[in-house]
Amino acid sequence: MSSRRSRQSSGVPRITDDQIIELVSKLRQLLPEIRDRRSDKVSASKVLQETCNYIRSLHREVDDLSERLSQLLATIDADSPEAAIIRSLIM
Amino acid sequence: MRAPQSIKQEFLKKWILGLQLCDFAKQNMSMLERKKAIKLSADIAIASTRNGMTCWSRALVAKASRDYGDKVLVERMLASESEKLKKVSSIGLIAPNKWVIIRSKKILRKSRRARRVRSSVPQSVLAKSIAKKMVKKRTQVLKSLVPGGEFMDDISLIEETLDYIISLRAQVDVMQTLAKATDLLNERAKVQAQVGHLALAAESTASPTARLISDPSEAFFKQTRESPQVTRHQGHRSSS
Repeated sequence: MSSRRSRQSSGVPRITDDQIIELVSKLRQLLPEIRDRRSDKVSASKVLQETCNYIRSLHREVDDLSERLSQLLATIDADSPEAAIIRSLIM
Repeated sequence: MRAPQSIKQEFLKKWILGLQLCDFAKQNMSMLERKKAIKLSADIAIASTRNGMTCWSRALVAKASRDYGDKVLVERMLASESEKLKKVSSIGLIAPNKWVIIRSKKILRKSRRARRVRSSVPQSVLAKSIAKKMVKKRTQVLKSLVPGGEFMDDISLIEETLDYIISLRAQVDVMQTLAKATDLLNERAKVQAQVGHLALAAESTASPTARLISDPSEAFFKQTRESPQVTRHQGHRSSS
């Protein structure tokens, strides 16, 4: 492996500006925060940061919802017709 | 691009099947065990909507199989899936010797950085290199958040991220709807029980609950239609 000091990565292509623009336009539909900014000049690092925040918040929601469903399943009143619906659906 | 509605439908179907396999009614699980099982079935279901075509979905199956104690349950959930996904769960995402290669690359990169000599640089160049460092740093964070991200090059990472976010959104939306519906049914059951008690106390002979619910499935869909719209972006905060 040649030691080229100017090369800092392990040789894989870096994210290009075009790809950032593509990512922004698609993420714009998913993230309301970016929508109102000046269209072409959103920084790459800001986009990545918003993306990471969004993914983290989605992970949290999945976790919270799993917990909530776990509690709900525990508290179903056994004899009601509603419990029968839930039971037939997911149990 | 896949339609969100079809992702949700496919996810819902697979998730329900997975939940039924968990056998909640019979076993005496703790709340934590139930939660883990719910999450497991949700993750496997959303990953299988991609049918092994994306790196994140394969990585998610590998991770779920690795982390969840009851391997038999995982196997059963994957029983009807493609061979690709089944292999991922048993072998894991990456063969052991590849780990060594990746780790040595990281060590090499670190030592290269240490040898770099600092010299005086013009302001604009400095700003650009700082910006590059920020992008690099944030890219690393993103890689840690997307399943299998550490094995992707920067270009694939973006594509995988977009697909992953769309799938996560569908997963969250469906889970919210089910939680809301279950909640409403629970509430309704409580109310009916109270009404029932009152009616009995007032010497009525016919059961009010039998009158009110003629067809259980009709009641289920009526409830979900009447419930207020689930907010899509709740829980999403940006921090700058």
